[in-house]
Amino acid sequence: MVLGPRATPELIEQTRAAMGLDRPFALQMITFFGNLLRGDMGVDVFTGRSVTTTVMEALPYTLALITASILWAAAIGIPLGAYSSIRRNTWIDRVTGILSVGTISIPSFVMALYSVLIFAVWLRWLPAIGAGEGFGGQIVHLILPAFAVGVPWVGYIARIVRASMLEIMGESHVRMARAFGLTERRITRAYVLRIAVLPAVTLIGAGVAHLFSAAVFVEVIFARPGIGALIVSAVNERNYTIVLGAVLVTTAIIVLATLISDIIIAWLDPRQREGM
Amino acid sequence: MPLASALYAQSGSVLHAYSSADIKKLDPAFYQNSVDIDVMNCLYSKLASYKPGREWDIELEAAEELEQIDDTHIRFKLKPGIMFSGGYGEMTAEDVKFSFERVLEHDSPVKSDWGPLQSVELDPEDKYAGTIVLEKAFQPLWSISIPYGVGFILSKKAVMEATGDGGDFGITPSAVSGPYMLEEWKPNQYTKLVRNPEYTGDLKPGYDEIRIMPMDDEKVAERAYEAGDLDYTQLTLSSLANYKANPPANTTIEEYPSLYYVWVGMNLENDTLKNENLRKAIQYAINVPQILDAAYFGEAAPSTGLIAPGLIGHRAQSIVPPEGNLDTARAYLEKAGGAPSQPITIDTLNATTWKTIAEVIQAQLGQIGIQVQVNVQDTGSFYTLGMESEGDRWKDMQLVINRFSMLPDPFYATSWFTTEQVGVWNWERFSNPEFDRLHQAALSEADAEKRAAMYHEMQDMMEESGAYRFLTHEGSPVMFRDDVETALRPDARPLYLGFKPA
Repeated sequence: MVLGPRATPELIEQTRAAMGLDRPFALQMITFFGNLLRGDMGVDVFTGRSVTTTVMEALPYTLALITASILWAAAIGIPLGAYSSIRRNTWIDRVTGILSVGTISIPSFVMALYSVLIFAVWLRWLPAIGAGEGFGGQIVHLILPAFAVGVPWVGYIARIVRASMLEIMGESHVRMARAFGLTERRITRAYVLRIAVLPAVTLIGAGVAHLFSAAVFVEVIFARPGIGALIVSAVNERNYTIVLGAVLVTTAIIVLATLISDIIIAWLDPRQREGM
Repeated sequence: MPLASALYAQSGSVLHAYSSADIKKLDPAFYQNSVDIDVMNCLYSKLASYKPGREWDIELEAAEELEQIDDTHIRFKLKPGIMFSGGYGEMTAEDVKFSFERVLEHDSPVKSDWGPLQSVELDPEDKYAGTIVLEKAFQPLWSISIPYGVGFILSKKAVMEATGDGGDFGITPSAVSGPYMLEEWKPNQYTKLVRNPEYTGDLKPGYDEIRIMPMDDEKVAERAYEAGDLDYTQLTLSSLANYKANPPANTTIEEYPSLYYVWVGMNLENDTLKNENLRKAIQYAINVPQILDAAYFGEAAPSTGLIAPGLIGHRAQSIVPPEGNLDTARAYLEKAGGAPSQPITIDTLNATTWKTIAEVIQAQLGQIGIQVQVNVQDTGSFYTLGMESEGDRWKDMQLVINRFSMLPDPFYATSWFTTEQVGVWNWERFSNPEFDRLHQAALSEADAEKRAAMYHEMQDMMEESGAYRFLTHEGSPVMFRDDVETALRPDARPLYLGFKPA
């Protein structure tokens, strides 16, 4: 496959030997992980470039997309959930509930397609493809993809913050704060919200894998470089070394994200720190 | 251009073009795909190149003279004054010799494009002149070797400096001689070509910058075009009718034939399909226009064989009529002893078009009582299905829907169906000594009519074996802004050198 359909058997054998594919499987694995410890994930079989370079070139685009998506989703979702819990059982709570569940049920690729059609094709406000150049260009090219990936997370975060706040508002330390005459605003900010966002942080940490999955579709739809687009084109071309490298890095990031979310929780909640 | 992008747009004329894949190599001796060639056309010179238009033809590029002296000798003389960038001097026949012979010396995966090339002899009297020497006559030299991938001329000095041994230099050209140069390549994002300030030739680059943007999905390119992010794109056949009815503003849509060929293959060594009458029953039960209506929305025409219209060897008609014939199919099925007791399988790629083709065939064969099971496979699994080197799956393969790409010479199509290719790319395991002999003979037949007759006969043999039902060559519609003047090959591949503002 790598050499194309017209390669001679001799050339195929030479290439197999050069790639180490003629060696026993166990030895191939040992060599791979040995090289990995030195940061060497092999060579792209088509371009001859280092897999590490190729993956590391793509990674910042996906990280930027995921970070932007989750930041704007949290910026909307946390206040929405908090406000909804404070105004429990009012029409505002019901509307935000419907909107939250609505956004959760829209897959990112559907949101991506419609956002391209509306904001790029019909209105022509924003670009439909690419990652842009320069800081301004990159921000402009990030808006629609981040919107598409982040929308479901607005709903997730809002619902979990609302549920968590309602639970905490019934706890004794909150009742005690009310008894001391603290304002509702101060109680909400200082004693409720800080604890209520903990499940949301856990959710986001565990949801990084979902964010990567969403990024795969969104990067293809927006023809945007990134780990997702890299994996899709590598799978289509049967470029196995790239697939291996990209999946490995993605897995490492998911593990790292879970660890970071645990650290953030420990920072926000002293009880967790003591338990660690 | 989208409002927000306009704020960050560069000055100067820029062409934004779609490509179906990213570049892999910019070394002509090791090219990987046709996008590599599209880009290299802008960077390097060839003795002759494809002429833009609707008819297959070539025109001189770096050569001042190019002449076939006899069956095995082609004399060339370069235009004086073609300069390589980076101070690598003037192009001479020595560079031609180096560029062509390194394809053989370094055992390039595409060395078969040069066929029986023996050497390039230099003219001791003239540093611009030389002779290409073949071991035997090779007609594809004029349609593939010289104007396509392996025909690019590189600077010997630059390549030797970069590689040491003249081998694969990958994706970074060290010296170019064409009107454009590679300014930047961002993998999976774009390839940016800009004017080569050291270019001294006759061609006038039409744009200050050409930006070629790879996309995995053609539909994404269509939306990007509508959003104003692209100036030129291919179209899918499924979108063609809509775009023809409602074209975007300031847009031209053109339809070109394609060289691809799509067919249903039958494994001649499968226990069930060894029965020739059963295979013929299947051939006659398949109604091609019905398939094309369903899978290509009626925008593709039935094919008569492997070789597309416009190429030597294209057959005017197939033996089995496109519509098939259910009565004939039933008669063959009766001779075969009736329909198989178990459903036969049809393998196809996991893509809408192929699945639709498979499902229509399933329904059509059902009309004569043959039950069909559709096996949908991903690319990695599908493309090793008939390969002996990948295990025994080929033994169970029965029907398969396949699509091969093609270069503008019939040898490129028939070469996959020789006995040598059985179990490699010849998944039908079709083997016919006369076919093999004709394939070799046609390579060196200089008389176009006789050569065409050979390819007609070869396609007849394939069809008569009952192992093939030819479906279509698809089509290559393109869409571009009215202010872009395109230069396309007859199969709609872009020749960016000729693109210019209208």
